[in-house]
Amino acid sequence: MCTGGSPSSNGSQTGDSNESEQQQQPAETQQQQQEQTLRTAVEASTPEQILAEYGENLKILTLNSQVSELLTIIRDKNTSRSDFKFYADRLIRLVIEESLNQLPYTDCDVETPTGAIYEGLKYRSGNCGVSIIRSGEAMEQGLRDCCRSIRIGKILVESDANTHEARVVYARFPDDIGSRQVLLMYPIMSTGNTVLQAVNVLREHGVPEKCIILSNLFCTPVAARTVVNAFPKMKILTSELHPVAPNHFGQKYFGTD
Amino acid sequence: MSSITFLCSKTSSNNNNNNNINDVSSTKGKAIAASSVFPTAALLTTTTTTTATLQQQQQQQARLGQLHGNLKKLNATAKTNGHTHIDDRSDVTEPLYVDPFVELSSTGGGAGSELNCCPASPTTVPAKSSLESPMRRSGRRQRTTSIGNQTTTANPSECIIRSNNRTIYTAGRPPWYNCAGQQVEPFVIGICGGSASGKTTVAEKIIESLDVPWVTLLSMDCFYKILNEKQHEQAIINEYNFDHPDAFDIDLLIDVLTKLKEGRKVEVPVYNFVTHGRESQTKTMYGANVIIFEGILTFHSPEVLKLLDMKIFVDTDPDIRLARRLKRDISQRGRDLKGVLKQYLNMVKPSYANYIAPTMAHADIIVPRGGENKVAIALIVQHVHTQLQLRGFKLRETLANSYKDQPMPDSLHLLHPTPQIKGLHTFIRCKNTSRDEFIFYSKRLIRLVIEYALSLFPFKTTCVETPQGVLYEGKRMESRKICGVSILRAGETMEQAVCDVCKDIRIGKILIQTNLKTGEPELYYLRLPKDIKDYKVILMDATVATGAAAMMAIRVLLDHDVPEENIILASLLMAEIGVHSIAYAFPKVKIVTSALDPEINSKFYVIPGIGNFGDRYFGTEPSDEY
Repeated sequence: MCTGGSPSSNGSQTGDSNESEQQQQPAETQQQQQEQTLRTAVEASTPEQILAEYGENLKILTLNSQVSELLTIIRDKNTSRSDFKFYADRLIRLVIEESLNQLPYTDCDVETPTGAIYEGLKYRSGNCGVSIIRSGEAMEQGLRDCCRSIRIGKILVESDANTHEARVVYARFPDDIGSRQVLLMYPIMSTGNTVLQAVNVLREHGVPEKCIILSNLFCTPVAARTVVNAFPKMKILTSELHPVAPNHFGQKYFGTD
Repeated sequence: MSSITFLCSKTSSNNNNNNNINDVSSTKGKAIAASSVFPTAALLTTTTTTTATLQQQQQQQARLGQLHGNLKKLNATAKTNGHTHIDDRSDVTEPLYVDPFVELSSTGGGAGSELNCCPASPTTVPAKSSLESPMRRSGRRQRTTSIGNQTTTANPSECIIRSNNRTIYTAGRPPWYNCAGQQVEPFVIGICGGSASGKTTVAEKIIESLDVPWVTLLSMDCFYKILNEKQHEQAIINEYNFDHPDAFDIDLLIDVLTKLKEGRKVEVPVYNFVTHGRESQTKTMYGANVIIFEGILTFHSPEVLKLLDMKIFVDTDPDIRLARRLKRDISQRGRDLKGVLKQYLNMVKPSYANYIAPTMAHADIIVPRGGENKVAIALIVQHVHTQLQLRGFKLRETLANSYKDQPMPDSLHLLHPTPQIKGLHTFIRCKNTSRDEFIFYSKRLIRLVIEYALSLFPFKTTCVETPQGVLYEGKRMESRKICGVSILRAGETMEQAVCDVCKDIRIGKILIQTNLKTGEPELYYLRLPKDIKDYKVILMDATVATGAAAMMAIRVLLDHDVPEENIILASLLMAEIGVHSIAYAFPKVKIVTSALDPEINSKFYVIPGIGNFGDRYFGTEPSDEY
């Protein structure tokens, strides 16, 4: 289900300042033409290119037609709120399932009711979820649907309106979070600053970088690069790499727009 | 006293000639005629009569004898070959009450008025339970015919198998296609005879005695032409000739009958005898194992004749026919005595002489006295049974033993075997998993399967505006018309997932159960969205072993004119054999599954498999199954 794969190359770290500028002012109509070219460029990226650019730990949900449709509906500004929530929940479910797929496992043979042996596998228990308030909470239900009794911690990160500097104001985790695999949930990454702060807090609580899986729906190339550079061992799962992030996600999902 | 007349059709062998003479009214003559009928009937449409079928006939006859022997010792005549023969038993059997109005109103024609009713309105008669009272008339939907078991050869208790906590009704429809998914033709019986000769009664008696599910009764009355104004006026003054071949829409009739014979779904017009037009609604009929087509001019068209596998002529005394016709037209169709008599003398009688009586030459069997003639009906039923047996086959075993060691077909879409999916399979396959966990994890897996299945539908590229002010090029599904069809019972578990991913989706259901005696799948129940042909269909079954049930379901969908390429079969677990069979029979059907197992065992369970998915999900597993 996932692009990315063999541990061959490290992410190339060429920052593109032009790209990030456009990211800052997406609404300019004159730039639309440019944006379109840019977008096409990113979409056309093959899994190999992404692997070469961001390393093996950034994985993108296999873009089949069905996922494309979900993305389209979520991005469409004419989508009603009820449809938006419905299709967002579907996409979240797929991303969460795929994130769980990244968890470590061991082989396990079981006997089936027909008496035969099935060579299966077993996931380790002792995982937990951490959502970044507020939009990350939209993904909690998806996680609950897959793991009924999983523990869920929360982090509130506020960003300064002027400086865009992110600051953690609240964090509450299970006590033994240091010994768990952590599924960090945050749907929209446009700069990556919020996630950087959140991961820092997790590390302060003793969670090793390699034990964190970031579940994300929409990611900009800038944010991806930022996060990958800062935490090369953290696994990142997203459904789309696109220069324009649908920043209305949280507002529309929770109905506060 | 009963007697039987045989009229040998030109194609029949000379052997039959002996029987033609048996038009005798003595007791002895009757017995001779009857006993010689069995081999003759079999010869009429088959070239070979095997020893096996003869034995079956004997057994069946013997059973008939046992049933009625006590009552009929005096009348029964033992023949040299040991057959016991049954007499006309009208004195012991209660007259069967068949209420045409119940059928009409319940089968959804909407023509509730008594006057509109044609007594032989098309009726599809699927699975029946012999336990039901013949007088039952309360059901909202008439899915069974009212069938007395006076003459049935099968004991009612044989229709139900109880094992442990299961009750299995074996009245489902067995496969009507071969292992390549192709149709096997149904057996078509044509019944002809003069007006009010008792054709409908004979047809109903045959259905009742046949004890075969999925019998379709089609009446020629449905194919009257729509009258124009002038003809309508003529009809009011009883001058329009309803008994002339021109009064029927023969082309439509041939079309409908041909389609029915191909096992396809057809829309049969409902004729209104008051307005002399067709009702706006039509009656949907579905291919059956046996089709009975009755009408006054059944044998008139050579094309129709070709479609009939067995031709019966009901020959009733003209006086009796007139008496019945008077009664029916006056009481049921709101006409007056004078008008009915005028019509009879001017049109019905000449038409009978000119168009109906001559067609007697085409008949294989002539039944005097209509529905009262128990012997004749028993013989007809015997022949039909033999024919059905010759057409039947063991579908499931054929499927299980073919296609070994071949590469998997292209139409198979296997979910990418990620650790996640394997982990979920580990949970649901383990025999020690509690039901709570089994349900939970199978639901998760089902969700993934359905999401994947949806991605196989055609999509088109679109451009949408985003709140961020940029255009976004994405994809939308080409058609929102998707419906789910679940194969009961295990397929039902997947319905929730389909509803979770598609808003307001329509769900159809098909009940297919395995007959424990034969191991064959049988179709019991069918409820599909209207216009299903316009939909893309996700067909759901939790596990596919031999693929027999799935093939039957696909066949049902095809028969409802759903294009093959619009069907996706979604399933949690499939056996390779099943995939091969389905892909071979229906190469355009997309097959989606989350895991593929190599084998199936003698009980048709997949190995290593999940066990009985439905039983584990619904908690109905018997304690000693394995």
